[in-house]
Amino acid sequence: MVDFSVWDVVRNLLLAARWTVALSLIAFVGGGLVGLILLCVRIAKLPGAERLVGAYVQIFQGTPLLMQLFLAYFGLALFGWNISAWTAASVALTLYASAFLTEIWRGCVAAIPRGQWEAAQSLGLPFRDQLRDIIFPQALKIAVPPTVGFLVQVIKGTALASVIGFVELTKAGTMITNATFRPFIVFSCVALMYFALCFPISAWARALERKLNVHR
Amino acid sequence: MSTANSFIEIVGVRKSFGDNEVLKGIDLSIAKGEVIALIGKSGSGKSTLLRCINGLETHNAGTIHVDGKEVRANDAAAIRDLRQSVGMIFQNFNLFPHLTAAKNIMLAPMRVKKTAPQVLEAQAKKLLERVGLGEKFDAYPDQLSGGQQQRIAIARALAMAPQVLLCDEITSALDPELVGEVLRVVESLAKDGMTLLMVTHEMAFAKRVANRVIFMHAGRIHEHGTPAEIFGSPRTPELQQFLSGLGD
Amino acid sequence: MIALDFLAVVEQWPLLAKGVAVTVTLTAIAAVLGVGLGVTCAWARAYGSRWASAIASTYVEIIRNTPFIVQLFFIFFGLPSLGIKLSPELASVIAMVINLGAYSTEIVRAGLEATPKGQWEAAAALGLSRAQTFRDVVLIPALQKVWPAMVSQIIIVMLGSAVCGQISTEELSYAANLIQSRNFRAFEAFIIATLIYLALSMALRQLLNWLGGRFLFGRR
Repeated sequence: MVDFSVWDVVRNLLLAARWTVALSLIAFVGGGLVGLILLCVRIAKLPGAERLVGAYVQIFQGTPLLMQLFLAYFGLALFGWNISAWTAASVALTLYASAFLTEIWRGCVAAIPRGQWEAAQSLGLPFRDQLRDIIFPQALKIAVPPTVGFLVQVIKGTALASVIGFVELTKAGTMITNATFRPFIVFSCVALMYFALCFPISAWARALERKLNVHR
Repeated sequence: MSTANSFIEIVGVRKSFGDNEVLKGIDLSIAKGEVIALIGKSGSGKSTLLRCINGLETHNAGTIHVDGKEVRANDAAAIRDLRQSVGMIFQNFNLFPHLTAAKNIMLAPMRVKKTAPQVLEAQAKKLLERVGLGEKFDAYPDQLSGGQQQRIAIARALAMAPQVLLCDEITSALDPELVGEVLRVVESLAKDGMTLLMVTHEMAFAKRVANRVIFMHAGRIHEHGTPAEIFGSPRTPELQQFLSGLGD
Repeated sequence: MIALDFLAVVEQWPLLAKGVAVTVTLTAIAAVLGVGLGVTCAWARAYGSRWASAIASTYVEIIRNTPFIVQLFFIFFGLPSLGIKLSPELASVIAMVINLGAYSTEIVRAGLEATPKGQWEAAAALGLSRAQTFRDVVLIPALQKVWPAMVSQIIIVMLGSAVCGQISTEELSYAANLIQSRNFRAFEAFIIATLIYLALSMALRQLLNWLGGRFLFGRR
């Protein structure tokens, strides 16, 4: 049996970590776009919007991400398409992120005093401009820390994509463990890499939160 | 001031917060059974002095002796011991919100003196009646008015059978119509011989109940004497200015 | 259209029931021990010595910045290299306790730091020690303040337990996987399991809110 050095392990893990980063970004950006649309639909008080979006959020927040991944993988396959793990994971994580982000942002918009809405309305601004010029700029400031913090959740969520076969950092870890029989070293390295990805972002989110509280 | 039978002996006490020296050398003797009113502008150091006596603040220089024992901040066990003889009532009552009035009163004796629960309950009932709130045994603080909460805070402090009560502006946070009920309790404590050191703005009360009034100004004891002397014939311009500014 | 056969899955309800039982048991144990661990570490972070606080902080940051599945794999696959071999159930419980412990630490700490200073001063003035004050005066109001966040976190851990099926713990997701490996009704099996999880999370929220009302906010 070939003897693997720690550097071999780390090198292979780093290669797989690229996919973790890629999937995280796709889910975060995609989820952000979908979440934004859902947010606008909710704020515009379109008929049934509150209930539908509310149910959407409840479903994603009240069920395991693992199940969501399985359903995306097996559900999309039902339509006869050949769904790769990558596609299923992207879809599932994007929808997952959209539910959480839309709920986070709803809270931020709700934190804006009613007076701002009334002032914008009494100026005769059309709804789109009310959002764009008055509400969103203020909500944006409040939203940055928790949104940045949620990115960490997404990165951790990508680890579950390993279960449906997507080769990212965790899957690479399991595969390398099977090859080298050194689970302690391998999973320590895996954990360390996630930590290296997540900790700076968590710290940044905390710093943003502190800055925000100083100004308020 | 005679030091022969003094219960609290404060000598040369100084206290700074950072660069700001709040107590600039305090000498004070308090005898058992004395009722002392501490008056002065805000920032004159009155509350700080009070808090140094029971160790909530640590003095930087000088000594404080209570009942012959020195108040030393770094001796946690000794400080806890001291606080069984020295009780404190706070401006904001600081009742424990998750406990009933009775439980508020019973907690410290139960934990610190390890008194039996039945004894504690009887004691709590008696103390509540002492402050005129016998029927509020099972009430929670958020169900009570400010005056009632403060009276329960007094009962809570009394539960530890202290020899001295430090009162830090205990009526300042109360609506005017609730002040009387609290002061009546304090007056009855004074009549029963409790040693009281009160930081207060209630001048009429001080005139009537205090044995001595101490006027503090800029971190020092500026004038002291009987209520008649302090309120009737203030000697220094600072005290005169303070009294006239009260618009009594 | 595609022919969905839910009956084939529903027939296997004993397996699903067993899975639910295991999920619920794991969550119950993890909740009690995890919150206890959280309270202990919150004390360490808020009031402990410098190195107790540092150890607690390091623990919290490591757990919060790594995925639960990696923590689980580390405990189940990694520890045997050190001679510590655990059953799937034990590894799952330990992983869940450690995970919940870290998140509860931060939740409880927020509650502790919101304690008004006057509460500490009043307790001190009565002669109570710091430990006594923490236990009798500070802790319950702090937990009251953060109970909703704590409830949400416990639910998150319950949902996260789905991953434990990957190390053969026979909880709900494992049951669903087992069923679909036998009758190839993957989508139906997972839909039903997902609905059960949804029902579980709603029921758990009700239960925890009731428990909080009874033991934390309990009065009259």
